[in-house]
Amino acid sequence: MAAGKKDVPKIDSSELKDLTDKLITACHILDHENVTDGYGHISVRVPGAEAFITIANVSPGCVTRDRLIMQDLDGNYLDGAKTPPNEWPIHSCILKARPEIVSVAHTHSKWSTIFSVLPIKLKPMHHYGKFLSADGPPVYEGIGLVRTVERGNELADALGKGPVVLMRAHGDAVVGESIEQVIERTTRLAMLGEWNHLALLHGEPKYLTAAELEVYNADQRFPMRGWEYYVSRLEGRK
Amino acid sequence: MASSSIPAFDSNELKELKQKLVDGCHILDREEVTDGYGHVSVRIPQTQAFLTTARTSPGCVTLDRLVMLDLDGNYIGGVNAPPFEWPIHACILRARPDVMSVCHTHSKWSALFSVLKGGLHAVHMYARFLPSGGPPIYQAAGLVTTVERGIALAAALENSAAVLMRAHGDAVVGTSIDQATLNTIILAFLGELAHMAVAHGEPVYMTDDEFTTFTSDRSDPARQWEYYASRIRDRRSP
Repeated sequence: MAAGKKDVPKIDSSELKDLTDKLITACHILDHENVTDGYGHISVRVPGAEAFITIANVSPGCVTRDRLIMQDLDGNYLDGAKTPPNEWPIHSCILKARPEIVSVAHTHSKWSTIFSVLPIKLKPMHHYGKFLSADGPPVYEGIGLVRTVERGNELADALGKGPVVLMRAHGDAVVGESIEQVIERTTRLAMLGEWNHLALLHGEPKYLTAAELEVYNADQRFPMRGWEYYVSRLEGRK
Repeated sequence: MASSSIPAFDSNELKELKQKLVDGCHILDREEVTDGYGHVSVRIPQTQAFLTTARTSPGCVTLDRLVMLDLDGNYIGGVNAPPFEWPIHACILRARPDVMSVCHTHSKWSALFSVLKGGLHAVHMYARFLPSGGPPIYQAAGLVTTVERGIALAAALENSAAVLMRAHGDAVVGTSIDQATLNTIILAFLGELAHMAVAHGEPVYMTDDEFTTFTSDRSDPARQWEYYASRIRDRRSP
């Protein structure tokens, strides 16, 4: 299954242009929507290869084309800017454990962080939470940065088959089958975190039940609409 | 009413109404009451038809991204991409001949109070347009994509100016686009105020008696509309 290293396209090749453009836009969206701060990163799998592209030790809001890096799933440098993010194992270990996943976002989202340290779970109380289970995302309890493959594997284990893992006293990792889906999930997770926080100040809210989550219709077929909206909000940024 | 009396989508007669609809959408986006989802509709005067946004974020809508439907949801003109939740508009406009415009948003504050057990009670005279006990709540989770659910929503709304939709948002009505839009903004403001007040303990809510006797001048929505329109001036179509 592994494509040989010689088969991996160059990071600045025309065949990766759309993907890298989208990765840069995605970073700017998470920055513009205040979900990420000066840290965090997004990755995307190189189609058909055992490799991924992420941002080279730069803030998501500051990333440009010449600050992208390509690595293989063992973290070896392949192309682009020379400095991998400290936490590259977040991406490589999840992409290795979950072949269906195309993109991973890691942020220090305020709302993920708060629920990562609370005894109460971040649960769906809006249909934006349709992608979550009724009892909310798991929490990776290991403290500190994920800079080793060992910790990356633990994180991937905590994520399991789910879309989200909260990282205790740290933030979150969100996965999806496209960059657009990861952005939709990451922004919605932050909204849900905020709304859970607001609601819990009033007492226990009426969460969506597992049965409701199972049966109700919440259209997630068109993340492009949300994507277009977020892109429109970047206008004037340059 | 015969459909022959419905003016053509591109007719001059509808131009002003369409521009106002676009303005209403941009105002709700600008005031951060809506996000990438939600929609505004307006009844075409003296007909059984309405205009709404064609599967477009309110903040991204333009004059050429609108759709005209009849009250059964049949396509009449514009971009043939009705919002999935067109029954919100069709069913309310059918049930409420007094209503000319309907706004549906995922307002944070409506979503919040929709899952709280205490209801959204009046802590400001701006609440005068609502029932004294607060807006009713439509309890069924998920999108309103069928006429059956649209009718249930309209039944929950009854004669109120707004209905909260559990784990979802709200539907707010008015006798004009101006009024529906302004009511939506005010509802969000009231939600935020009530939230802040409750965080301090039980506030002194307005009583039923006060509700029926105090004066709250709503005879001149033009002033408010002018204000909010001034805040989207840069977005107005040329």
